[in-house]
Amino acid sequence: MMKLRLSGLSCGVCANFRRPISLCYSNSISSSSAEVKPKIPLYLRPLSFSASLSELTQWHKWAKNLASSVGSSFVHLDNGPDSTLLRRELNWLLQDLLELQHHSAILSHLESGNSENVDVSVALRAPLEELYCVWRQRIEERRPFQYVVGCEHWRDLVLSVQEGVLIPRPETEMIIDLVENVALNKFPELAKGFWADLGTGSGAIAIATARTLSTHAHAHGRVIATDLSPVAIAVAAFNVQIYGLQDVVEVRKGSWFEPLKDVRGKLAGVLSNPPYVPSGDISGLQAEVGQHEPKLALDGGISGTSDLLHLIDGAASMLKPGGFFALETNGEKQSKFLVDYIENDKPGSFCNINIVSDFAGIQRFVMGFRQ
Amino acid sequence: MATAAMGGGFVNVMKSVDHIVRGNGVSLLVKAAPTSTSGNFFVSLKRRGWQLYCSNSNSDSYLKLRDEELMRQCEMETFKASGPGGQHRNKRESAVRIKHLPTGIVAQAVEDRSQHKNRASALARLRTLIALKVRNPVPLRTYSPPAELLQILPPNSTLRASHSGPQIGPNNPKFVLGMQALLDLIFAVEGSVSEAAKFLGMSTGALSRLILSDGSLWMAVNELRASKGLKPLK
Ligand SMILES: C[S@@+](CC[C@H](N)C(=O)[O-])C[C@H]1O[C@@H](n2cnc3c(N)ncnc32)[C@H](O)[C@@H]1O
Repeated sequence: MMKLRLSGLSCGVCANFRRPISLCYSNSISSSSAEVKPKIPLYLRPLSFSASLSELTQWHKWAKNLASSVGSSFVHLDNGPDSTLLRRELNWLLQDLLELQHHSAILSHLESGNSENVDVSVALRAPLEELYCVWRQRIEERRPFQYVVGCEHWRDLVLSVQEGVLIPRPETEMIIDLVENVALNKFPELAKGFWADLGTGSGAIAIATARTLSTHAHAHGRVIATDLSPVAIAVAAFNVQIYGLQDVVEVRKGSWFEPLKDVRGKLAGVLSNPPYVPSGDISGLQAEVGQHEPKLALDGGISGTSDLLHLIDGAASMLKPGGFFALETNGEKQSKFLVDYIENDKPGSFCNINIVSDFAGIQRFVMGFRQ
Repeated sequence: MATAAMGGGFVNVMKSVDHIVRGNGVSLLVKAAPTSTSGNFFVSLKRRGWQLYCSNSNSDSYLKLRDEELMRQCEMETFKASGPGGQHRNKRESAVRIKHLPTGIVAQAVEDRSQHKNRASALARLRTLIALKVRNPVPLRTYSPPAELLQILPPNSTLRASHSGPQIGPNNPKFVLGMQALLDLIFAVEGSVSEAAKFLGMSTGALSRLILSDGSLWMAVNELRASKGLKPLK
């Protein structure tokens, strides 16, 4: 299972999280370059609070009703979540809030509406007032669930996220399958090289890639993760530490390939999920995304492809011969556009170019090898 | 447990992936051969809503496949995303539904928070369903229980004594293989628990207790007995 190494966290960070106010009212993080302190996700906080079972039941009933009152109004409004999904999120919130071994017993108690043992005290990782506050934010302000609990489950990882960092998407999980099944299984020597995850955000791709590299025999592969956002850099470094990968993943701040000059022409792999939403689409995004996730992580310019094209150009000079690249795109049109660009504007640079569909059938990824 | 109510439809992604598979041999998702050419034939005995697939070749081998190999015989569908998905969307709809093409058995998982885990749960469920639903012929005249069946028998089985190793319970992933072999035997002896017990060198009572120890095994045995006109095991 997951190994947690909390010893590295400074006390200041912990103290920050005992104050409910920090979770409840900090809806945006200023993008000042002052050092950003990563927030501790709910599931990693100590069980320092408690409530009686009846108080918890009362909160749960209220929260469930609030979720149910949404019906499918958000779906019609901007393709947001419906009450079924919100109620599932409520269960996940409880999962993170309670002691793991008591979660299912308490949940079935809450579901049963049974009024026995109401005086029993339940240990919590956040005070009840904060739960009222954050659940209201979830529904009324459409604050993303993952920012409320401070984490996202992605592949077999639990990654910390917070305002200022993109929440990793399920589609992106497949980039790691491409690394395993297309690159490493066919060319095992790539596992020994340097890999780059550009625009790493929470560090998702970098961390999962590092774990994949390490499963290959005698691999000494390393991953360099870059991002322009100071919050992303802090959060990615935190996640790298949680998985004990400080020796394998290096996080560097800067724009795209700019912090990678020392490995020019030497990279075994280039991976990226850069911003690819066309600027004109941003205002129509579901509120959880458009109003809460960082524009820097989403906005890919007028056609959404400006960063993708820059990455293709960079991959041509940064990859060593035989090196692998995989990029996530907005789908269909963008993927075809990139393949055309590679074939017409970069002749002789790459080979085995392919478009791969995601699990919803959208042509999501462009991948290939440096000639 | 496995299935939660889902509003929208599932989209079949096989067509879009098919060309890539043929194109460069990337085998993330590979279309399995259609049932008619797979060499197995399935007799579907529909009784009380229970569908039984009988095969003439060893389809117990499905369960011996590694996850990737089994997955290659499957169509994987994810919850249909409306719109462009990816960065546009935050809905945590990571439901996974897989269909095993040779048998048509479908398993799905929706309750996990990541798609990766839902896929693993769906695949584990598929293995259980294959064990419960796919029956293989058993040559009774020369029968000796396979190793995976011996592993799930209690220590007091006389046959088991020769084989060491602790008894494997329902929580062990290997239990599924033993369960399938046990159901094959019970199917071959027309649902008679006492007959099956003789082949396993144990008392009828001991075999009954083993069957009752796992809810889905118990139900499968009773469905099978019902299809042969026998009373349920209690
Ligand atoms: C769509 S997010 C992807 C985050 C993460 N890789 C993932 O898949 O969840 C794009 C990331 O690119 C970063 N980014 C945007 N412009 C950048 C630039 N010029 N140089 C480096 N990173 C940049 C953003 O801060 C953001 O973290």
